Amino acid sequence: FFGYFRKLVGNHDLERADLDQVMVKFKDQLRSKNVASEIADKICESVTSSLVGTRLGTFEGVSSAVSTAMEKALTTILTPKRSVDILRDIADARAAHRVYTIVFVGVNGVGKSTSLSKTCFWLLQNKLKVMMAACDTFRSGAVEQLREHCRRLKVPIFEQGYSKDAALVAKAGIEHATREGMDVLLIDTAGRMQGNEPLMRQLAKLVDVNKPDLVLFVGEALVGNDGVDQIVEFNRALREYAPNEKNPRLIDGIFMSKFDTIDDKVGAAVSMVYATGQPVIFVGVGQQYTDLKRLNVKAVVKALLK
Amino acid sequence: MVLNDLGKKITESLRKLGNSTVIDDETVDAMVKEIAAALLQSDVSVKIVKSIRDQIKKLINLEELPTGLNRRKHIQMVVFEQLCNLLADPNSVPYRPIKGKQNIIMFVGLQGSGKTTTCTKYAHYYQRKGWKTALVCADTFRAGAFDQLKQNALAAKIPFYGSYTETNPVRLAEDGVKKFKSEGYELIIVDTSGRHRQEADLFEEMIQVEKAVNPSDVVFVMDSSIGQAAYDQALAFRNTVSVGSIIVTKLDGHAKGGGAMSAVAATKCPIIFIGTGEHREDFEVFEVKGFVSRLLGMGDIASLMEK
Ligand SMILES: Nc1nc2c(ncn2[C@@H]2O[C@H](COP(=O)(O)OP(=O)(O)OP(=O)(O)O)[C@@H](O)[C@H]2O)c(=O)[nH]1
Ligand SMILES: Nc1nc2c(ncn2[C@@H]2O[C@H](COP(=O)(O)OP(=O)(O)OP(=O)(O)O)[C@@H](O)[C@H]2O)c(=O)[nH]1
Ligand SMILES: [Mg+2]
Ligand SMILES: [Mg+2]
Repeated sequence: FFGYFRKLVGNHDLERADLDQVMVKFKDQLRSKNVASEIADKICESVTSSLVGTRLGTFEGVSSAVSTAMEKALTTILTPKRSVDILRDIADARAAHRVYTIVFVGVNGVGKSTSLSKTCFWLLQNKLKVMMAACDTFRSGAVEQLREHCRRLKVPIFEQGYSKDAALVAKAGIEHATREGMDVLLIDTAGRMQGNEPLMRQLAKLVDVNKPDLVLFVGEALVGNDGVDQIVEFNRALREYAPNEKNPRLIDGIFMSKFDTIDDKVGAAVSMVYATGQPVIFVGVGQQYTDLKRLNVKAVVKALLK
Repeated sequence: MVLNDLGKKITESLRKLGNSTVIDDETVDAMVKEIAAALLQSDVSVKIVKSIRDQIKKLINLEELPTGLNRRKHIQMVVFEQLCNLLADPNSVPYRPIKGKQNIIMFVGLQGSGKTTTCTKYAHYYQRKGWKTALVCADTFRAGAFDQLKQNALAAKIPFYGSYTETNPVRLAEDGVKKFKSEGYELIIVDTSGRHRQEADLFEEMIQVEKAVNPSDVVFVMDSSIGQAAYDQALAFRNTVSVGSIIVTKLDGHAKGGGAMSAVAATKCPIIFIGTGEHREDFEVFEVKGFVSRLLGMGDIASLMEK
């Protein structure tokens, strides 16, 4: 195997055929690290086309050339195209006497409410006045869950119980938080499947009516191929189901939860970022309030190629 | 999305197989490759897909096929049956609660997989058939866990046990089970906190709960959207407590549930039910043929098989 590629060194410009065999190996590698199949294909294809026509260095084998190109490609994908500076944006909103709102969206059980609470803890550390709005008015215990987090974190809650229109609860919550002189309102929403049209319409309404400053998509690091579909469909629903808005608010960033459960199978981060071009803003690494981190792009790329 | 396209591609490739007059090794190779791709897209673990691929190729040995046998049909059957066997090993019989006896069922799984919701569905399923069922909340960790179980239980009119003040899940589980045992309940279901294998303390706690309640069956609840981590996590649960059955949740979403195949392979435990929604009625007995069709992205495999 190795001997065969050795012969290529410096002989001719790389062709697709020279790369195919190595690429199969890399594709399997990415998949086994939990990169969605479709995304692994796309990444490998773009690495292949970036190498076709180039010539290997004197001591370079095909495999190491691919590895280098792959590392570069993955780093580019994961590096945010624009910076999201939440604290600066909050300061701006405060200067304008406005409460800054963050809404947490995602499918069932991924960690929306917990991630919201971690975000609250982080904002409190930054000396901000924070309130939570219990807009999961559907799932049993959802309101009590948020109430408990508020009790522990010593922040006020806005809630109107169950079975209410979540969009209207959020609206009332924003008015309330404004009156109370809050800096930030964190809006919890019910989990929903991306293909459930009635529920997705309700979410689009909530976002459209309230125009949150930040829409965070919570996706779990455990998710496989469905992760791509989840985030793409949430974004699509926000765009297409917005009742009366020409420029609808879409997903602004990703909160990747449960990163502590996957060892080196970090591929979901790549899949989701690639699918939407949105950055991973926070990473959840446990069930405590302090288990909140930023994505370490270098470490993720290293884990993917190890 | 692309997933659907792939499903179509496979159905197509099986159809092509149906149309082509000569079936040689090349045709078989191409088909097996496409099936492997579908399985990967469904989150079956990369390792397992490799072994399935080899296994199928071995089983479809064209030279050894007796003449006269319909080759096409044979290949289709091999692929489909192979997957069905992997998911529902005919030799592994799931635990079935025994009516009139006291059955204690402990639910375990990763965080957010759907344990609490599924406990109620499971209880409701049996209660409707006339069983005396009860729920015990042994999750003292998650905020609002007891309220969640309580609200579900009240709505389904199922007796429940839990506490807002007790912080020891082992004691709660023990007390709850003892109470319902003495009251003659036939099916006592114990809900536990979500946990993962990287947290040794949480796994130790699970062992203690198991010891305290001495369950007749331990059910591993798994989210259908889980990717490549499924195998290791499922195996770790199986190696720690006596997992006997699997329930796969959230199959009302788009996920194909290939992680379930990995979990079955890792635990050698059968899938008993699937969750298909947030309401307590959204619960079905696991049916392997339908599940495999979905896994392969082939809605109409059944009709294909009959041709
Ligand atoms: N290990 C780990 N567990 C997490 C993390 N984030 C959340 N969880 C756990 O995941 C489970 C579900 O979390 P929730 O915050 O209730 O999830 P949700 O998305 O709000 O759920 P629904 O509102 O029911 O859709 C809880 O047991 C959390 O403790 C994380 O980063 N790591
Ligand atoms: N769509 C759908 N949602 C489900 C299904 N099963 C559970 N859920 C939802 O998934 C989320 C998490 O379910 P829980 O029952 O709280 O999960 P859990 O495993 O008890 O979570 P922890 O106790 O935090 O580990 C909730 O929003 C449930 O309503 C299902 O089959 N379909
Ligand atoms: Mg929630
Ligand atoms: Mg629970």
